[in-house]
Amino acid sequence: MTALVEMKDLKKTYKMGETYVKALDGINLTIKKDEFVSIVGPSGSGKSTLMNMIGCLDALDEGTYFLEGTDVSELSSSKLALIRSKKIGFIFQGFNLLSKLTALENVEMPLIYQNYSHKNRKKKAIEALEKVGLGDRLHHKPTELSGGQQQRVAIARALVADPPIILADEPTGNLDSKSGKEIMDMLVDLHKQGNTIILITHDTYIANTARRKIVLKDGKITEDVEVS
Amino acid sequence: MGFLLALKMAIASIISNKWRTFLTMLGVIIGVAAVIAATGFAMGSTASITSSIEDLGSNTLTVTLFNKGTNRDLSYNEFIAFTEENSKYIEAVSPTVTGNATIKYEAESYENSQIIGTNAAYELVKNSHVQDGRYILDLDLEFRQKIAVIGTAVVNNLFDSKDQALGAYIKIDGTPFKVVGILDEKEGGQEGSSDDAILIPLTTAQRMFSSAKINNFTILVSDSELVDETVVVLETFLTEFYGTDDSYRVFNLAMILDTLSEVTDTLALILGGIAVISLLVGGIGIMNIMLVSVTERTREIGIRKAIGAKRSSIMTQFIIEAVVVTGLGGIIGIIIGILSIQLLISKFVPPVIDTMWVFVSFGFSLVIGLVFGIFPALKAANLNPIEALRSE
Ligand SMILES: Nc1ncnc2c1ncn2[C@@H]1O[C@H](COP(=O)(O)OP(=O)(O)O)[C@@H](O)[C@H]1O
Ligand SMILES: [Mg+2]
Repeated sequence: MTALVEMKDLKKTYKMGETYVKALDGINLTIKKDEFVSIVGPSGSGKSTLMNMIGCLDALDEGTYFLEGTDVSELSSSKLALIRSKKIGFIFQGFNLLSKLTALENVEMPLIYQNYSHKNRKKKAIEALEKVGLGDRLHHKPTELSGGQQQRVAIARALVADPPIILADEPTGNLDSKSGKEIMDMLVDLHKQGNTIILITHDTYIANTARRKIVLKDGKITEDVEVS
Repeated sequence: MGFLLALKMAIASIISNKWRTFLTMLGVIIGVAAVIAATGFAMGSTASITSSIEDLGSNTLTVTLFNKGTNRDLSYNEFIAFTEENSKYIEAVSPTVTGNATIKYEAESYENSQIIGTNAAYELVKNSHVQDGRYILDLDLEFRQKIAVIGTAVVNNLFDSKDQALGAYIKIDGTPFKVVGILDEKEGGQEGSSDDAILIPLTTAQRMFSSAKINNFTILVSDSELVDETVVVLETFLTEFYGTDDSYRVFNLAMILDTLSEVTDTLALILGGIAVISLLVGGIGIMNIMLVSVTERTREIGIRKAIGAKRSSIMTQFIIEAVVVTGLGGIIGIIIGILSIQLLISKFVPPVIDTMWVFVSFGFSLVIGLVFGIFPALKAANLNPIEALRSE
């Protein structure tokens, strides 16, 4: 079976004025279906850059990246957009919901860009919101929801199109510990239901909820271990 | 992403920014309203001028004789003979001799400057009919009858009623004339207007003003297609008769209509120019606001891209937003333009609303939205999603 994510010697350099920052410096990484991987490392170690690479939001400079067997570096921007909507579910630290739309409309959005019919879109979005326990908050705007509820809307949005990979970048970073725990429990649950989850965090305690832990430092993988 | 959905999104975003959208639209609203109102005014005034000229008859020619540089005189009979030879072109001809006199009826008296000596053809040529009584007949000319057909202003000045006027004797410079007919009212019976005229037989007038010379002939051309040819025939005859072309002038109402339509065309062109400029200015305003909106919504665009929006979807969203704004502005402008024609302009000229201009200005406002929406939309579509997500 082909791996979901397969990176070989992947490099990404940012130019900051006169200096170059090697955000990713030779990443070799394989992630298979049904894994629950956490990526940890100090701030500035390249975690978000790696997530953007996996999520096809950014282009690599060197090396190769195959997503479900497809060479991503070869694809046009509209193909990449399609891949993002079908294969990746993003969960961000700052929730990144559209403040003018209701919870339901936010969750519907990925389906809009996949040209789902109005009826199917509504049905799937409601199902996803029910799954994260917000079946009674469909028509609330983000500002009318707590931080934890907003992040659950974001999870519903990540799930709604049934993508093979869910990418979460510090999903608990903006939450109090109680809501943070709820969100983590939900991710563990989702993994049990058969979703592949890649979780980025700088919190080693949270990292240990995952099955596999990858440690990043200065753009390199320094550790890649199974967690008991 | 479907068009309807993009439209819905555009409307939602417009509603969430009502005032800004309205101010943005203002340029387009004013531009379109100006086009509708100005073309309405131009067409209304043209229509009213044209209709008053057509009342006189668009296939009417006026011949004015100056007797300059010649000692020959064209008599009524000579001219009638010429017109009868050319009956293919000339349907009717009416000579006029005009003068002023003091008019009296019993104790009432006033100065009238429109005593017109003419013949029976005047009715047809000037399209001026009697509402009561009869017209001047050619027989009246033969016997130099002292009869008069009077306008309603004369009736109002001298009599209590039309019944009293008909059959009464009025004195024109002391000579009694029997009133045999009353003309249709054309200008509200105002003193000094064409309703203030007194028609008498040509021969009677010639004797009264002791002048046999006729200065004016009005000619009704048989067919409006033949007006130009008739002018040539007339000019040839008159030049031959006088031996010069300085002593007469043939005046063509169709020519005035042509000049008028040239003026209207120029006016329409100027108005069109002004409209285009104001719509362009409106368009630049829209581009400006759309650019601000793209900057403000950078994060939204980043989120949409991250969850799968293509460049084309973002592009469509912003262009439709711009087109909806200008289209809405166009509709409001059309409504304001039509209202100003109905409520304001209609006080001065007959209200004309030209559907062509309504559609043209609406179409143009859509095009403005499209053209000026493209640049901001491209800017939005080309945003780098990572940088867009980081903004704020
Ligand atoms: N768009 C960018 N432009 C310039 N430098 C960047 C950009 N993105 C990330 N970097 C740099 O790359 C390094 C890795 O950043 P990041 O992946 O955000 O780290 P982390 O998420 O682990 O905190 C940092 O030094 C950061 O300053
Ligand atoms: Mg980060």
